[in-house]
Amino acid sequence: MEMIPGQSFLLGKLDEVARWAQSSSVWPLTMGLACCAIEMMTATAPEYDIARFGSEVFRASPRQADLMIVSGRVSQKMGPIIKRLYDQMADPKWVISMGACASSGGVFDNYAIVQGVDTIVPVDVYVPGCPPTPDGLLYAVNLIQQQIRQGGRGGLLARA
Amino acid sequence: MPSPQTPPIGSTALDPTAVRPPIDDAIIERVEPSELRARLIALKREGFTMLLDIGGVDYLERKPRFDVVYHLLKLPPRVSSVAEIGRPERRRLLCGVPGEDARVPSVADLWPSADWAEREVYDLFGIVFEGHPDLRRIQMPADWEGHPLRKDYPLRGPARERTPRPVFANKSNVRAGTPPSGRTAAALQRQIALARGQVPPVQGEAK
Amino acid sequence: MSTIDVPPPRKLEIVEQSGNEMVVSIGPQHPSTHGVLQVITQIEGEVISRASPEIGYLHTGIEKSAENLFWTQASTVIERMDYLSPLSNALCYFLAVERLLGVTDRIPPRAQQIRVLMAELHRIASHCVWLGTHGIDVGALSVFFYCFDLREDILDLTEAAGGARMHPNYLRLGGVNGDLPEGYLARLDALIEKFPGRMADLRRLLQKNPIFQDRTVDIGVLSLEDALAWGATGPVLRASGMAYDVRKAFPYCGYEQYEFDVPTRTEGDAYARFLVRLDEMEESMRIIRQVRKQLDTPGPVMIDDPKIAPPPKETIAVSMEALIHHFKIVSEGVRVPPGDVYQSVEGPRGELGYYIVSNGDNKPWRVRTRPPSMYHTQLLKTLTIGELIADMVVIIGSLDPVFGEVDR
Repeated sequence: MEMIPGQSFLLGKLDEVARWAQSSSVWPLTMGLACCAIEMMTATAPEYDIARFGSEVFRASPRQADLMIVSGRVSQKMGPIIKRLYDQMADPKWVISMGACASSGGVFDNYAIVQGVDTIVPVDVYVPGCPPTPDGLLYAVNLIQQQIRQGGRGGLLARA
Repeated sequence: MPSPQTPPIGSTALDPTAVRPPIDDAIIERVEPSELRARLIALKREGFTMLLDIGGVDYLERKPRFDVVYHLLKLPPRVSSVAEIGRPERRRLLCGVPGEDARVPSVADLWPSADWAEREVYDLFGIVFEGHPDLRRIQMPADWEGHPLRKDYPLRGPARERTPRPVFANKSNVRAGTPPSGRTAAALQRQIALARGQVPPVQGEAK
Repeated sequence: MSTIDVPPPRKLEIVEQSGNEMVVSIGPQHPSTHGVLQVITQIEGEVISRASPEIGYLHTGIEKSAENLFWTQASTVIERMDYLSPLSNALCYFLAVERLLGVTDRIPPRAQQIRVLMAELHRIASHCVWLGTHGIDVGALSVFFYCFDLREDILDLTEAAGGARMHPNYLRLGGVNGDLPEGYLARLDALIEKFPGRMADLRRLLQKNPIFQDRTVDIGVLSLEDALAWGATGPVLRASGMAYDVRKAFPYCGYEQYEFDVPTRTEGDAYARFLVRLDEMEESMRIIRQVRKQLDTPGPVMIDDPKIAPPPKETIAVSMEALIHHFKIVSEGVRVPPGDVYQSVEGPRGELGYYIVSNGDNKPWRVRTRPPSMYHTQLLKTLTIGELIADMVVIIGSLDPVFGEVDR
């Protein structure tokens, strides 16, 4: 987008404007599973404050959320539910796999934990850590915003 | 590094209560499944108002194979202060259950806390609690096969020896070849270029 | 393209169905359930006539993982059960293993003091999360921010001592991993000074608030008889009249030397549980003040037994025995004599117990957790009957379950 000097309007492509709007208000889904969920909650708390990056509210309904932060270990019972929630989210949607357990099974290489939520849903950003500090989660949200602005999923013709 | 897939060491001291005297303050008793209910009813009448926990242990090569362990606590059945409670008595009942035809009477009607504890022992060990109002799996999905905490159940589950290849790993959100953006990335690019001597440093910039 | 087939929703059994009854499945993804809990409720209008909680959505196989790790490594997975106060889990586990080893009396006093300090700090941190999320469920959003700000100070202290904010793996077999760093006690003093003002804020926000009282007084009343029969412990039992606290009844880690009270109420409703937990936070700070005075005296923080605890890293360069002991402990682990033990501590949720069986090997044979939250979650079956759905949310909050512990 560019500002014409001397005039009071901006010129830009519609797609860019749409991407600017989408990246500035990514609303996550409340998908707290385990310990990483507590750090996710801490990211909304005063010291880290995810709201200043646009994630003002966490929506409980998948229909109203853009971003699914899989925060915690995914058990065998929970796997189909995560898939169903992902399917229910409206396009465009993004997924952050927060923590070692969601990214690859983490410390738990056993029968009970799905070894990586990317066997169930496509993931855009992986955040390592057990649990990652809230700074890590904030950086992941920033990377999603970068991806939106640079030409990833999103924009005017938002398709998966 | 212990390998998670090697079978557990069997045999040595598989009935630990026979080897050395108890080392915590609980009084330990061993009962047969046939006398279990009578003994627990008697203990409840004696004042053991709380069933703390029911756990299972799989000893694999010992006969009987399983132990179902009941932890009881004697708390007074009325409003009590710290001084009145003092040091309450603890009991531990060990009930040996054979591997084939593992059945034990349920005590969910004596203490409602036994309900889920027994379901969990059933789910993870396969021990059936006769008389339980709703005996079904609690931790594993309803259609899961096998009882995971048994010693002959592999750590990684029945089918998986290796972690599967992620299905969506190749589906990236960003088009290939897109350069990184943002101030940090630009500064990093510049640092690399400086180090390679591709650009001259500007006034005041470190090399 | 996915490997998981989404099954159709389960058919739920309905016991009796009159014209107005509806079966609603609440969860497992829901902001107000404090974790992954599914409650299948049978409701008439808004009133619950039957509630069936379903757990297992966070089953991690921690107990099976622990059977395949060395005794010292198992604490890494065990810490992740009650993730709001990880060091309580580790403390109980190590106390149990130390009992099996027979070295409970040889743990140095400074290690005991640091363990008590960590346990009480984590109790306050856990209650902060409880109060914050309970407040959100009830509609009081500001409380969340106050509580998490207080929690940040405690997490900073945990990170300074242990290396990580949550799950620091700071407690070890025989003591703690390294003494408190320089400047730590000054930061602890700053927290101790800040705490009474912050507690007064939290009380001022909620305790006499008529809306909060409306939502919690006489909700989820648990009689003492029911509490004992359903296996409730901790603040839930103490709010119903029984002053049972493991720190007083079966003292561990030197708790008998500290002066503190056990707050108890008799009403047994959600408001009583709220008051009990707030009072507990203040009692914890009282213990921390007493421990703080003891921490001025320096001393060793690890047991002096090379078969159990690796010798200090510096000695490896100069002592052959130290090097060999280090090598053996790291590559082969510690061998624990055969036996079984039940050890419990007073966790923030209630009586957290471990029943550990050893067969003489370097790995546990069985680690059974007595999870206080599981017995409290079961209570939902009786406590919610006749209450409104909105009250169910308050009841779950007042019972304070953590599903890492319930499902393990």
